[in-house]
Amino acid sequence: MNDPLIAADRLSVYAGDTHILDRVSLAVHPREIVTLIGPNGSGKTTLLKAILGLVPAKGEVKRRPGLKIGYVPQQFDRDTSLPITVAGFLALFAPAKAADTALARVGISQAKNRQLGALSGGELARMLLARAIAGRPDLLVLDEPMAGVDVTGEAALYHLIAEIRDEIGCGVLLVSHDLHVVMAQADRVVCLNRHICCEGDAHAVVRDPAFLQLFGARAASELALYAHHHDHAHPPSGEAGPAPNG
Amino acid sequence: MIFMDDFLWRAALGAALLGAAAGPIGCFVLWRRMAYLGESVAHMGLLGAGLGLLIGINVLVGTAALAIVAALVMARAGDRTIPAGTFVGIVGHMGLALGFILLATMENVRADLLGYLFGDVLALSASDVTAIAAASLGVLAVTALLWRPLLRAAVGGDIAAAEGKGGRLVQTAFLVLVALLVAFGLKVVGALLIVALLIIPPAAARPFARTPEAMAVLAAIAGALAAPLGLAAAYATDAPAGPCIVLAAGAIFAASVLGSRLWQTFARSRRDSFDLS
Repeated sequence: MNDPLIAADRLSVYAGDTHILDRVSLAVHPREIVTLIGPNGSGKTTLLKAILGLVPAKGEVKRRPGLKIGYVPQQFDRDTSLPITVAGFLALFAPAKAADTALARVGISQAKNRQLGALSGGELARMLLARAIAGRPDLLVLDEPMAGVDVTGEAALYHLIAEIRDEIGCGVLLVSHDLHVVMAQADRVVCLNRHICCEGDAHAVVRDPAFLQLFGARAASELALYAHHHDHAHPPSGEAGPAPNG
Repeated sequence: MIFMDDFLWRAALGAALLGAAAGPIGCFVLWRRMAYLGESVAHMGLLGAGLGLLIGINVLVGTAALAIVAALVMARAGDRTIPAGTFVGIVGHMGLALGFILLATMENVRADLLGYLFGDVLALSASDVTAIAAASLGVLAVTALLWRPLLRAAVGGDIAAAEGKGGRLVQTAFLVLVALLVAFGLKVVGALLIVALLIIPPAAARPFARTPEAMAVLAAIAGALAAPLGLAAAYATDAPAGPCIVLAAGAIFAASVLGSRLWQTFARSRRDSFDLS
């Protein structure tokens, strides 16, 4: 396999003496869509932030030299004391023409001259995605980028992400709650619960009849939704231990 | 004739330039919600002034040095166990308390204590004004020069940092600019009021601005305008000048908010009557 765009090696993050992340290793390769799933508080956002160098972490992150990242954070504070239009905001990060094209692709060209503070939640999510892709990054890092986007729009935007990947050959590291879409677009699914519980090839999983069956039962826990192999067992304490007989 | 008095000229010039420089950089303080940090930096500036006098260096140098160190340390403080705000509040007030005690023990300063807290703009010497003017123009120039990266870091937050466009350098530069302004503002409106000049003019500019650049320019104008208005009020009423300048800034803010509300109402009623006809 070609060299990874970014590779995290045994990242650990602590809050006081609590582990938020425990020796997590993860790599994203060019043209690869890696989706992180896991329950609330499993450390998905923290892992992205640690990889991006936004929170202090033990361990090592190797970036390909000159790596261009496009990041969509989970939370984006719009301070109403800052007057800025969508176009003005995008201009801080990308040339006007690229920004216009990106806005058109996410379907909010009409919002170009509106104030950032006046956008709806869904429009803001689209605008942030447009900003991230406008710079033609090598790696897209998306932390629940579809917050506030309606269901039909969401599917279209995930499709767009895959399209962008094909077009510019970027890698994608994605956190998402919507397993439906995750299964449709991800090349690799990584299940996190403070440590990496398991990884699976989503394409194989999607073709599996068991997946459809499972997907109907939404009540089933998120973690049980796709077929994967455990490389370790969970004693009741929740700590990772060696798998029984491989 | 009020315009003939040299000390008034000096006061007006120093305060106006300081206000003009405080406006744009104050916009960033507002956008990044760092008023509290600015407050604590100003408090530490008082300690810096005391230490400067104690070891016999220039008061301004002492104030600026400690303010810069405090800003850099406090901005990086805070982790998951002690929130940054808590830490900043503790350190800042320790600085204020310690600085006050230090200054109060100095026989020759004691009489000027209020000046350190609320400013003594009418006592500015020619060299003071020169220093304030140089610092203000410098802060303005660097703010203009770093405008794009500063704005990117302010509006993009984590985004800019994650993509390597936020730069620790920009963050550091911003903190140094704020600390410098606070230090040089100590003589004008004092350690307790200087943050007002960072916050009020941008807030007054906000209702009339559609772009960050317009807000910065309007804030600079509002900041500069507060000086002559405040000094005129102080001259007329014999009230302390520093607090009068801050009150003048507050009056500009009130007028701005009121004016923009009235204008909105007027525009809406015109639109409505147009729709009806």
